[in-house]
Amino acid sequence: MLGWEFPPFKSGGLGVHCYELTSAFARKGIEVDFYMPRTEFEMKGTTPRLIQVMPVHFGPYTAREAYGSDFMSHVLQYNIKCAEEVEKNNREKRYDLIHNHDWLTVRAAVLAKQKIKRPHVFTVHSTEYDRSGMGPNQQILDIERIGVHSADRVITVSHMMKKQLTDKFGADCNRIRVVYNGVDPDKFKKKWEVRKYSKEKVVLFLGRMAEQKGPVQFLQAAQKVLSVVKNVRFVMAGGGDMLPYLINYSIQLGISDRVTFLGYLPESQLQEAYAKSDVYVLPSVSEPFGITALEAMASGTPIILSKTSGVSEITPHCLKVDFWDVNKMAEYIIALLKYRVLNHTMGMNEVEDARKFSWDRAADETLSVYRELV
Amino acid sequence: MPSICFYFQVHQPLRMRRLSIFEDNNGDAYKLYFNEKLNREVFEKVARKCYLPTNSIMLDLINRFDGKFKISYSLTGVFLDQCNEFNPKVLESFEELAKTGCVDFLDETYDHSLCSLFQDKTEFKEQVALHTKALKKYFKCKPVVFRNTEALFTNEIAKLVEEMGYKGMVTEGFERILGWRSPNYLYRVKGCSTLKAFLRNYRLSDDVAYRFSARWWSEYPLTADKYAAWLSRSEGQLLNIFMDYETFGEHQWEDTGIFEFLKRMPEEILKYNNLNFKTPSELVALEPVGEIDVPTPLSWADMERDASAWLGNEMQRVCFRMLGGLEPMVREADDEQLTRIWRMLQNSDQLYYLCTKSWADGDVHKYFSPFDTPYDGFINFMNVLQDFRHRLKQKLKIEERR
Repeated sequence: MLGWEFPPFKSGGLGVHCYELTSAFARKGIEVDFYMPRTEFEMKGTTPRLIQVMPVHFGPYTAREAYGSDFMSHVLQYNIKCAEEVEKNNREKRYDLIHNHDWLTVRAAVLAKQKIKRPHVFTVHSTEYDRSGMGPNQQILDIERIGVHSADRVITVSHMMKKQLTDKFGADCNRIRVVYNGVDPDKFKKKWEVRKYSKEKVVLFLGRMAEQKGPVQFLQAAQKVLSVVKNVRFVMAGGGDMLPYLINYSIQLGISDRVTFLGYLPESQLQEAYAKSDVYVLPSVSEPFGITALEAMASGTPIILSKTSGVSEITPHCLKVDFWDVNKMAEYIIALLKYRVLNHTMGMNEVEDARKFSWDRAADETLSVYRELV
Repeated sequence: MPSICFYFQVHQPLRMRRLSIFEDNNGDAYKLYFNEKLNREVFEKVARKCYLPTNSIMLDLINRFDGKFKISYSLTGVFLDQCNEFNPKVLESFEELAKTGCVDFLDETYDHSLCSLFQDKTEFKEQVALHTKALKKYFKCKPVVFRNTEALFTNEIAKLVEEMGYKGMVTEGFERILGWRSPNYLYRVKGCSTLKAFLRNYRLSDDVAYRFSARWWSEYPLTADKYAAWLSRSEGQLLNIFMDYETFGEHQWEDTGIFEFLKRMPEEILKYNNLNFKTPSELVALEPVGEIDVPTPLSWADMERDASAWLGNEMQRVCFRMLGGLEPMVREADDEQLTRIWRMLQNSDQLYYLCTKSWADGDVHKYFSPFDTPYDGFINFMNVLQDFRHRLKQKLKIEERR
């Protein structure tokens, strides 16, 4: 498996997916070699066996500046090296299949396929259209197009994403399979088991501070909410290049005393954040899936989802809004803060529903895609 | 020799509009709360697909069999209002049917409500009286058999209905109350002296209402002669085939062959000497064979056949309590329009949309719901109820000043 991030070195859903998927594979007795860039720390004795190929500088997801020409050439070098490593290890390992995640490792997978003649599965977690607010990078789009067309099977994390691939990349829909992300429901503390220290109600945003995640809409909704209810805190967790702008914007809106920016939250604080919040909002302009919503569900925290998110396909236990409909978003937030019965009924049903989306299920579905090929 | 008792429920909900707290919510409450455009569209569609063609088939059948084919209906007041407002032709076609003398009508609550579960039964009596008055006006009849909203039934409600002068009442023939006994007989009700219960034969009813077009069903396709043979083999005094009238042409679309089935059915049934058609008013004279005891709510909805379709979760119960809690203010305000709206809000459908059951029934709830999710429905219903309470308060304040 060719990946990019792996816990603890991760910045988004991609790393979570790779970690949980390979762990579930291990439980099912499937051996995985996971290729990833070398980080500062050498990781040993992990499952799956991590093969750290070479260092690649710049975190691709945290800042757009990282997408400079330097970065692109680093990625290319990494891909070439990665394919060489795969070929070398294959002599002894005899891999059955190559599976890569997102554009960053597409070329390695395509090269490796030529070298070792094994089928290639490509999981698309997001495309350049989802990640770039302003204008997509043509180079990256080209790589994605190559991946989508050359892979033997393409896995997407939602039907929304599948449609995007067929619409925008002209992909063959017969080769695309949808495998939703999962959540480990027992890993998350339940809302009702956690003590809150303040009477203040908390509304949570958790994600990269980037245009397509909808932080601006979140702040606009916050202002509307505060015009009706007072004792509410809006917590925004996550890093990203829009952070300074958003802080300024909250001052402009006159609500800076009600908004807390936490920056990037380490894994250890995630659970608390979900469990101590009264509402979780995912206002994304474009969100191929949205694992955080599943995590909030597993914590029993009611969720408000943008209709343009993959996760909104899978659960009826949520409130759905158009990302631009700030009034409705505010109205839903107010209702969830005001009606305990609504908050609780939704939370209980969410926890129940989240159980359906285990990583074991995601692993089984991925395996059945493999079985179509080997 | 079993008599076949056909009974059809005719109703269309009043779907609500989305009420936003960020909008200016002054003006006519009816226009503000209810989605007139959607209600009109749905009514017109169902009139075209179901009411008008089915009524015309029924009328032909009644004429053709010269008094041997009989059916019964209950039409909610909400439905009658919509006929008047959206398409009077539908009402006329029911009036035509009433004139044949082969059609029986049952009474129910005017507003298709759950007010039989309110502590105070005044509202229930008033809604039933309104319905009786409407039936008298349109169909010149006075029903002797009662049908509560969605066949909702308890010993207590039955007692009340008996005191109001009815001889019979309709409900579900469910194992929970019947045990080994058959629904094909009349039963006495615990605590009542003369009232007789008609119990729906849900298997024979659902064969048509739900399974008619189900390809997974081993008996698919259901033909009129096959169905008639099943009926003729049944034991008992009467076969209660009760269903939503919208089965014809709306739940089962025309292309499933449901109309052909209906057209063929009476002649196939009348081929058997042991079968005939009778109305509830005629059948209520039969001797009951035993007694049923229904201490907790029984209905024909969902798999549980209880009140959980409307009051199964806490959100639904909160709304229902709030609705009931408004009664003293509504009575004090004594305003015709506000009372009318309070009753429209009591439509059981408004609570039905808030159901969160996740198994097969959930799909049915979703199919009928104008909301994305039950939570969305709850928020909207609460917004409406609060706006309504505010209006009541204002009205009372003005009264006080005078």
